[in-house]
Amino acid sequence: MFPQLLANALIAASIYGLVALGFGLIYSTTRFFHFAHGAIYTSAAYLGFLFAVWCGFRFPLAFTLAIGAASLLGVLIEIGVYRRLRRNNATSIVLLLSSLGVLIAAQNSLSLTFGDSSKSLHRGIAGEALQLWGARITSLQLTMIVVSFALWLLTWVLIRFTRLGRMIRAVGNDPELSRVVGVDADKVIVVVYAWGSGLAAAAAILAALDTDMTPMIGFNALLVGVVAAIVGGIGSIQGSLLGALLVGLAQHLGVWKLPTQWQDAIVFLTLLIFLLLRPQGFLGRPIRKAEV
Amino acid sequence: MDYLLHILILVCIYSVLAVSLDLLAGHTGLLSMAHGAFYGLGAYTSALLALRLGSPFLVGTLLGMLVGALLSLVVSLPSLRLRGDYFVIATFGFQMIVWGVFNNWTEVTRGPLGIPGIPQPAVFGWVIKSHAGFMVLAALLAVLAHWVVGRITGSPFGRVLRAIREDELLAQSLGKNVFRFKVSAFAVSAALAAMAGSLYAHYVTFIDPTSFTVMESILVISMVIIGGAGSPWGPLIGTTMLVVLPEALRFLGFPSSVAANMRQIFYGVLLVVMMMGRPRGLVGRYGFSR
Repeated sequence: MFPQLLANALIAASIYGLVALGFGLIYSTTRFFHFAHGAIYTSAAYLGFLFAVWCGFRFPLAFTLAIGAASLLGVLIEIGVYRRLRRNNATSIVLLLSSLGVLIAAQNSLSLTFGDSSKSLHRGIAGEALQLWGARITSLQLTMIVVSFALWLLTWVLIRFTRLGRMIRAVGNDPELSRVVGVDADKVIVVVYAWGSGLAAAAAILAALDTDMTPMIGFNALLVGVVAAIVGGIGSIQGSLLGALLVGLAQHLGVWKLPTQWQDAIVFLTLLIFLLLRPQGFLGRPIRKAEV
Repeated sequence: MDYLLHILILVCIYSVLAVSLDLLAGHTGLLSMAHGAFYGLGAYTSALLALRLGSPFLVGTLLGMLVGALLSLVVSLPSLRLRGDYFVIATFGFQMIVWGVFNNWTEVTRGPLGIPGIPQPAVFGWVIKSHAGFMVLAALLAVLAHWVVGRITGSPFGRVLRAIREDELLAQSLGKNVFRFKVSAFAVSAALAAMAGSLYAHYVTFIDPTSFTVMESILVISMVIIGGAGSPWGPLIGTTMLVVLPEALRFLGFPSSVAANMRQIFYGVLLVVMMMGRPRGLVGRYGFSR
């Protein structure tokens, strides 16, 4: 029982981790809660379905197209909505509200186009089940964990060790100052939205290979992803991994004692406990009240 | 005719939600995503009391409001120390937990099956059966809610709330106990939302968790913002727009499943457009900025 729960937690964490990573990256650069991240997630899954099932493309091509299109969508939201709002000196609450509007509009557009019934990408590709230390795990789920970790590592290297990463951190730290030293903040933010949305899209495709999709998946993934990001310490790359693991563990070990349907309540209870005792999360820097 | 009355009753119920949220969001600057939860708490409390103990409508409503106000402390005491968007996230978390309880505590709430057969309200021995009668009751309570919020925001107390919204540190430096003001505003707002919930439960006579989701919270937020936060008529105008306009879609011949999606797309897009073009809303005085 225990190894299986641990494996389930790890599989769940591989999806939440990518969502939290993208969300946290965007938060630390533009300093607001980009809820439309959930819309990107759902769009990616449905675009994958569109290309793979309706158009009949091969999986690698279909998924590349879907991830590309979803990350373009993220960029379009940034340029079409957020950038204009920032020009008007909008507060983070105004940005949050408009991203909620985008999320709701996009989610319902998808539900209009594809219907509310669940769609499936996985046609017997789950692979054979492997036995690892007493846990049953399919080769697909193992791939999910490996791909997710690889993408996390790639992002970490990108942000930590490249010139682009330094520019991204600079813009997140102080957009004005970075402009002074010749960094085009708008361009850097576009890159961040493209990369962050791509991470969410990859998570969506991985999850869609394992389980069915409905227009609500993005919203659910977003909520848990946001909790993971906050618990880990929003804006911290290691934090997103840690937060996702913790949320995954809380969700699946909780099931040990409680019925499964309480999973979400456990996740949000974890969130409230963190907000109460350590709002900056595990690895985040303390939040200064003067930053309002 | 009954259809028209039905729309008007919905406008009344939602206007109570909108005006109570405006006290918190528009006047105090605290954007809460937990209004759907308090709405549901009022509905479930009143419905369960009526069915299990046979308590009359007004008693159920008052107790529902009490439950709403008390549980508002659970969220307001810890999370009011958080700044702007973290407060939003905390109320979001509370909303999800309460919804989880509605949906999963099946021994009490019957979970997704919902609670059928909630009695129609009886006020001082007079049982309200017709739409017209209910319309009068709903209108009275809506007027009451507007009056309460109007009185609060027009009083010195309300002035302090707006001071907190504009500059919390300044209000504090003038010796105002900011924390206590915020907690009280939250409690009043939650109690009024619970009142709307009780009204709703006794009107439709069947409740299930789908009526009290986070989407409901977002709908109420949209009503306040589109109409105009921090103004006497803004919430009512926003409510009327968001309740009546989507009904027009039905007359254009959309099937109801499509109409539900169209309605949400409509207010999602409207929210974005408002934030870009007119963050104060149609007649509002506060645009969530400084």
